[in-house]
Parts: sequence; structure tokens; C-alpha cells
Amino acid sequence: MTAHILVVDDAATVRMYHRKMLGDAGWQIEEAINGVEALEKVANQPKDKPFDLYVVDINMPKMDGYTFVRELRRLGHVPQAPVLMVSTEAQTHDATAAQDAGANCYLIKPARPAELVLTAALMLGDAAASVKAADMHLRNGGRA
Amino acid sequence: MPIRYLKKHAALEGQVSADDAEALGQWLRDQNAPVVHLGKCDQVHSAVLQVLMALRPRVSAPPADPWLAEALNAAAA
Amino acid sequence: MNSTELLDQFILEARECLEQIGQRLLEVERAPDDKALLNDLFRQVHTLKGNCGLFDFKPLERVVHAGEDLLDRVRNGTLAYNAGIADALLEAMDYTGELIDLIAKEGNVPAAADTRAQALAAALRQHLSPAGVAAAVAPAAAAAASAASAPVPVPEPEPDWLKALPAAVRQPGRVALRYRPEAECFFKGEDPWHLARQTPGLQHLQAAPQQAWAAPEVFDCYRCNLLLTLVSDAPQAYVEEHFRYVPEQVELHLLQAPPAAAPAAAPAAVVDDAVGELMRGRIVRIWDEQRALLGRPGIAAGTVAATHTTFNHLLACWADTTAASSARRALAGLAPGATPLAGWAVQYHPAAASTGDLPSPSAIVAPLEPRRGSTPAVADEAGAGANGQKVLRVSQDKIDRLMDLIGEMVVAKNALPYLAQRAEDVFNQRELAREIKTQYSVINRIAEDMQHAIMQVRMLPVGTVFQRFGRLVRDISKKLGKDVSLVIEGEDTEADKNVIESLADPLIHILRNSLDHGIELPAVRLAAGKPAQGTLRVAARQEGDRVILDISDDGAGVHTGRVRAKAVERGLIPADRADSLTEHEAVQLVFLPGFSTAEAISDLSGRGVGMDVVRNAVERVNGTVELSSTPGQGTKIRLTLPLSMAVTNVMMIETAGRRFGVPMDLIVETVRVPAEDIHHFKRAQTVVLRGRIVPLRALNELLALDMPPRLNADAEHAVLVVRLGAETIGLLVDDFHGTSDIILKPLEGVLTGITGFAGTALMGDGSVLMILNPKELV
Repeated sequence: MTAHILVVDDAATVRMYHRKMLGDAGWQIEEAINGVEALEKVANQPKDKPFDLYVVDINMPKMDGYTFVRELRRLGHVPQAPVLMVSTEAQTHDATAAQDAGANCYLIKPARPAELVLTAALMLGDAAASVKAADMHLRNGGRA
Repeated sequence: MPIRYLKKHAALEGQVSADDAEALGQWLRDQNAPVVHLGKCDQVHSAVLQVLMALRPRVSAPPADPWLAEALNAAAA
Repeated sequence: MNSTELLDQFILEARECLEQIGQRLLEVERAPDDKALLNDLFRQVHTLKGNCGLFDFKPLERVVHAGEDLLDRVRNGTLAYNAGIADALLEAMDYTGELIDLIAKEGNVPAAADTRAQALAAALRQHLSPAGVAAAVAPAAAAAASAASAPVPVPEPEPDWLKALPAAVRQPGRVALRYRPEAECFFKGEDPWHLARQTPGLQHLQAAPQQAWAAPEVFDCYRCNLLLTLVSDAPQAYVEEHFRYVPEQVELHLLQAPPAAAPAAAPAAVVDDAVGELMRGRIVRIWDEQRALLGRPGIAAGTVAATHTTFNHLLACWADTTAASSARRALAGLAPGATPLAGWAVQYHPAAASTGDLPSPSAIVAPLEPRRGSTPAVADEAGAGANGQKVLRVSQDKIDRLMDLIGEMVVAKNALPYLAQRAEDVFNQRELAREIKTQYSVINRIAEDMQHAIMQVRMLPVGTVFQRFGRLVRDISKKLGKDVSLVIEGEDTEADKNVIESLADPLIHILRNSLDHGIELPAVRLAAGKPAQGTLRVAARQEGDRVILDISDDGAGVHTGRVRAKAVERGLIPADRADSLTEHEAVQLVFLPGFSTAEAISDLSGRGVGMDVVRNAVERVNGTVELSSTPGQGTKIRLTLPLSMAVTNVMMIETAGRRFGVPMDLIVETVRVPAEDIHHFKRAQTVVLRGRIVPLRALNELLALDMPPRLNADAEHAVLVVRLGAETIGLLVDDFHGTSDIILKPLEGVLTGITGFAGTALMGDGSVLMILNPKELV
């Protein structure tokens, strides 16, 4: 069963970038342009095909990333999935704020493709994809 | 010439190439009791070896190369 | 990249690889069980092989490939490293080096190389044969090993022809071969008898007909009917190489007890060690982040559920499957809530499983450290060669080119905020504007990082300049009849490449001065109670964001009396002024331009060895020079230099016969406008550019230069359109010249109050370029 990822970001370029990187790893990608749309998508997911991972930007109009995750975590009737927060903000307090909202991991963008895919693969429990991503990360000069 | 055709025998000397195989074969066929002298023969092409193995002339002097000598011995047997 | 550049790069890298490999081979001999070493060695050879393959240098690839296969087995533990293997590898790598040298000279590998390459490859592969394997292998390792890459003969039952061989000949370790040439082979130029006859290590050779010979009348001597059987005691690989052109006509058997059954391969994916390590590290990191998350106050039930899932998924990627499954089982049986989960996370922590100790809980609950997705601090890179990190030699012009490109990008990106603004203001595209701005901040950060990174790359150790001093000092001191010892300290201290390069000449001048005027002749020194040998000390160290270079000698010091006299003599200062100077001030007179005499022209540079030249060069790179001296004891010159350089890109423009620089990031465009297109309204001038009205101001007027702007041959004005805050203004100038990278020096001292100028820059020809600050002018 292929994993299902929801990418939430108001910038089309960023959505495209994440879709390409994560899609190439073999996962199914859906997009939402802000927190409101994302919540709608979550609500409309068929019961047997929930999202397995959320990749969420912080700065979005209408509803920002923190709020979205908080709302998501309050939904009792949907299976909860790990949240990977991706943002241009690099302060420690932003990462803590992300945790307080309920995000499991935090990456700073722009994230190297291999780094993003590796983190997503580990959060998805996709062992094969994580090995490939780790290998690519090393080959592209990344470090442990 | 690698092969000298004398009255009683053919002397193969030095390196005998494929070109000589045909002529040698013909000479051996024409003889009643063909004899070959291989004492000064260093090397033969496979085709020449085949001629010697198939037509089985008497070898009056063995070649220096033990493997060739062995092969001809076995063929004569 | 053209093919010569590619080839040069290949040679460069190949040599680097070989150097590393050579070193590793020696290290491995001393520590044959060191997995990390073996893996590194393998990787180097693997890389080399890959590179060779790109160029189709077959003999080269043959040898390296054999080495790689061998090393793969060694690092897997399925082959024991021994002296024989070491020798074979060293010899192979030596030959590889020779081939690389040949390629560097001729551009190609000579055909003759193939024979030797074959032999070396065969020698390497010999070690892969089962005889070698049997000794070293532990059963578990054998099961896990990937399929052997050497052609291990299939362990079938012995064929009859083999059994028919004379017993004396059938000794274990030998190779038996049956060669059945095809009938038409003569016409292909083959000579099977000759080939068999030449087999290395031939011990037995039999020739028989494949089918009974035809009757003499119909016998065709040119149809091959030979069946050749032979036995050789040469290594199997050698025999195979020998028959490489007719593999399908040859059947080969190794004479010995059938080899151990080929490992019923459970081809477990042999995960590279580095990959495993990286993954373990990541898993632990994410694990600990989850623990921190669980410690946050007011955590939602949904978050706990998601964290539960995250742990499960991490376990799915955890290599130690036994530990993972027991952890999984425990996880499944947990009571709901954050606390039980947190407790479980401690108990089944993956790091604890291997090392037995655990990061302390207090450290974990501390706020999560955001992980950067990008490269770690560039500081790691500086001088990393010593740590055994891979070091690349790169030609400097490549670095310079990279720096130019980065500079261009830095300028190009500056257009984006402007575009964003236009999108919003002119085209009403708010969304688009926001996206552009977001993307700009991403690009901006990357560009700044890149600029910072390239600056770091340009850092060189000052030792590169110091290198030539030893020889210089020796030669000059000999010529002058003096005895001088040169002491160098801190040659590893690093500074920007530009800085270092610009130091070369000044330093030589300073040293020459010391040798000429500073250090006395041995006799004089002895008379003064000093040792006959003088000391010239050059010391470099880093202090904050500066590099300090101290050049000191224990010579006679600066003779202030003579200096004062000379300055007066040259008309540099009036006599009474010269007398009133303090000792220290008098010493500084040497910095005056024109101080040095024509007779002292250095044979190094052709110019005078004036300290003014030195000071200019140093100040051009934003550094300072200080000179101090104690009569009779010595002189010290201290150069203080910036660690890296802040470079500004400016466009040079000309107006009223003068040149000025304008920072590029203010410039929107340069355009030539026909005079007739300029609208005049009262005293204001404007022009319409691309649908916008742009107000014009003459730069001459702004600078209070009393001249009208000049028109060119086509009656056009040169207009420099600059963006000042929210406004756009066109400056009328006389002409544009190129752009230039300069180091902007802010106005200092009495000049600080002047408006309209951002600062000055010292140009290469020694002139000073004033850099405008248009905002202040307008």
C-alpha cells in the first residue's frame, strides 16, 4: 500500500518541489494551499485511505501551519498521522512552537532532497525508501 | 622454404604455416610410403598438424617440441 | 566542458584516488580487520573504476575492476587479507599509476598495455578462487555474502574426458581444459594448436580428432577437426585470460575436490556501512525529538497517537530486527497516554540497545533543536585535510570563475524584490508578489550562503607565501655577506586568497629591507655584543576577524637621524618639522611616498622598495601597517589584515570628466535616451521608460559640477536608472563603463560628514574611486 502524503503550503513552487521529491520516492501526494483547505481534505478522505504523513508550511494565509496542526490534532474521528513541519524560520522557539502545536519533526527549508525524503521515509516506516535516501544523501556529499 | 621435398622424404623446417598444409597433403598422398623429417621443425600450423595426423606419414626424426612429438605419436598409434 | 578538461579532471581525480589507495593499502596491512579502513579503500577503488569506465580505458578498467572485486570480498569478511593480496594490489595500483601517467602524456592508453593489464587482473582474481575462500570464512559471513564475482567453476560431476587424463597429470589445483575449435576457425585467422601450445603453465597436451579423419582423397586440411585437451598448473584466471577470445569453444575444470557448495545465497541486501550509520543516527534523532514532544505540557491526545505511529514506523526502519520486534510488541500492549509512551521510549531506546547508555532525560525535554536541512557550517571545511577528510585539488581559476558566477547571481537575485513590487503595484498580483518574495528570501539565503562558502574556499594558509622566503633570505644574505636565520611561525594561519596574493610582493620588500638595512654584517653585530647570526622572524596568527603578521628582525633598527635627514633632503618635509618629530613619528617617515631612493630599485619588482608601496598594497586589501623600531635592537613591522573580504559590485560611470562608482544593487537599468524624448516641465525633466514616467536628474548638477551632461554621437543621453527606496530616478551621466568588484572603504576622519558618497575604493592602478550614495545626493 503506497503511503499518502498531504503537502500544505501556499507557495505553488514549494508545493511542486515537495511533490517532485516525495513523489519520486514512490509516495502518493496531495496538496492543499492553506490550513483551511487542508482540513477540508482531511475531512473528505475516505476512511480506508487516510493520510499517512503531513508536510506542513508555517506561514500561510487564512490559517497558518501551527493552527492547522492544532486543529488536526483535535479531530477525534480521523486516524492521526505524523506531522513534518517545514519552514524558513530557524529559531529554536519556532521548533518548540511546532512541537506545542503537535508536530513530530521540523525541517528548515529549503531542505536538501535527500534529507527531506529520508526524514519522510523514516516517519512513514518505509525502510526501503529510507535506505535509498540515505545512500543518495551520502553520495551527494551530505553528512551523517 | 619450410618444406623441402626430397626424393625419399619431406623435411619440415622452422615454422610451417597454413599455406604449406595443402601442398604437403598432396605430396603425402602421392607417395607410396611417405616419410617426414621433423628434426629441424620448430612450429606447425594446426592445418599442418591435421595433415600429419590424418595422413600418418612415418616420422624419421621427431620434432624438438615434445608436445608435437607426443601428438604425432598418439596419432600414429 | 570539453573533452580535454574532462580528461584533465579525470587524471587529477585518478591520481588523488591512487594516492589515497596507496596510503590505505599500507594502513590496511597493519590493521587488516579495520572495517572502516577496508570500506574506505573499497570506495576509493570503486570510484576509480567508475571514472575509468567513463573513458573506455579498457586495460585500466580491467585491472581496477579486479582490484575492486577482490576488495569487496575482503571487506565483506569472505576473504582474508594477506601479504599476497597486498602485493598484488600494490603492484596493480602501481601499474595503474603508470597508465594514468601515459594517459596524461598521450591522451590514451597504448595497446601494448593490455597484456600487462590482463596479467595483473588475472593475478588479482587468482586470490578470489575457492582455495582462498575456504581458509577465511565463518559460516554466518558466508551465508550473508553476495555472490562471488570470480568465475567459480560449476561443481558438476567430472566429465569423462577429465577422468581419462593420466593420473600423474591430474593434480589438485591444476586446470584441465578441453578446447573444441569450430570447423571454420582457420579462416578467422585462428590457430588452435598454436594457442593450446602456448598455454601458460602447460603440463599436458593432447591432440585428437573430433571425428574420425576423412579418407585421404576427400580430406580437407583447412577444416578444423582438432580436439585439444590440456592441463595447466597456471592459475585458472591466467588460463581463462589466455583463451579469452574463444570462451565458447573451451571447457574448463579446476582439478580438486569439488569446491564447497556455492553458498545457497540468501542474498541479503548488503547495506553499505555508512548508510547504516546515517540511518541509525537519524532514527535516534527523530526518536529523541518524539521524546521531547511527549514532554511538552498540554499535549493533545491526537499528538500522542501520531507519536505512537511515528515510533512504530521508526522501528520498521531499524536494522536490528530482533530488538525492533520486541519493542513493537511492548508498544502494542501499552496503556494509552503520553506518560506510558514516554516510558516505553526510554526503555526501548535504539541507542541504548547498542551502547547501553542513554541521553539523560533532562537533555531530551529541552526544546527541540531545529535541524537544518542544508549543509553544516562551512567552518568544517577549512583545513579539513588533516582529519582524513577527502581533499580535492582544484585549480584556482576554477574557483575564481565560481566566485564570478556567484557574484553575478548575487546581483541578479536583487531584481526579484523589485519584480515582486511591480507585480503587486502595476499588475495587481498580490498573491504572485507574495510568492516571489517568499522565493526571494529562499534564494537570498542560499546566495549569501554560497558567497560565504566560496569565500571560505578561497582561504589559503599564509604558508603558501612564506614558502619562498627561505630561499630568498638565503640568497640575499649570502650576496650581502650577512648571516641570517629565518624563523617562520604560524604558517597554517589562513586568510583570503586575494589577501595572500597581494601580500607576496610587500612581504618580500619588507624582508629585503631588513636584510639590506636592518640586519648588520656579522662583524658589526659581534662588536655590538650581538650574536653574529641575525634572526628574521615572520609570525602569523589569527585574532578575531583579522590576521596579524609580524615581521621582526634583531638588527640595527631604524636610524631616525638618517631618516629625518633624508626626508628633508627629498623635500618631503621642512627641516624644522623634521626636527620636532618624536622618535616614533620619525620612524614613520619611511612611509612617505618618494622616500625610497632610485638606487635601491629592487631586482624583484623593478620598483623602489618603498614602504609606501607596501602600505598601499596592504591598504588596498583593507589592512593596516605599523612600524616600530628600537635603535640598536631591531625593527618590527606588523601587518593587520582582514580574514575575508567584503566585496561590493559597482558600476563605473563617467561624468564631467570624472569617474564614480555606483553600487550595483541600486541600479535598475542603464539606458540611452534620445534627447528629444526628454520632457521638460518647468525645471523638471522626465522621460517615459516602458510605460513609466521616470524623473531625471543630471548627476553633474547633484555633484555641483558645473557642466551639462554630455550627449553621445547619436544625440542620446546616458541614463542610469536607480531605485531609491520606493522611488525610481534616472541619473543623467556622460557614459557608462563596466562593472567592477571593489572593497568599499567607508569615509573616515574629516570626510565622514560628507553626504552623497558611500565611501571610496582603491583601484588596481592606485587611483581612488569615489562611490556614490545616490539617495543622499537626490
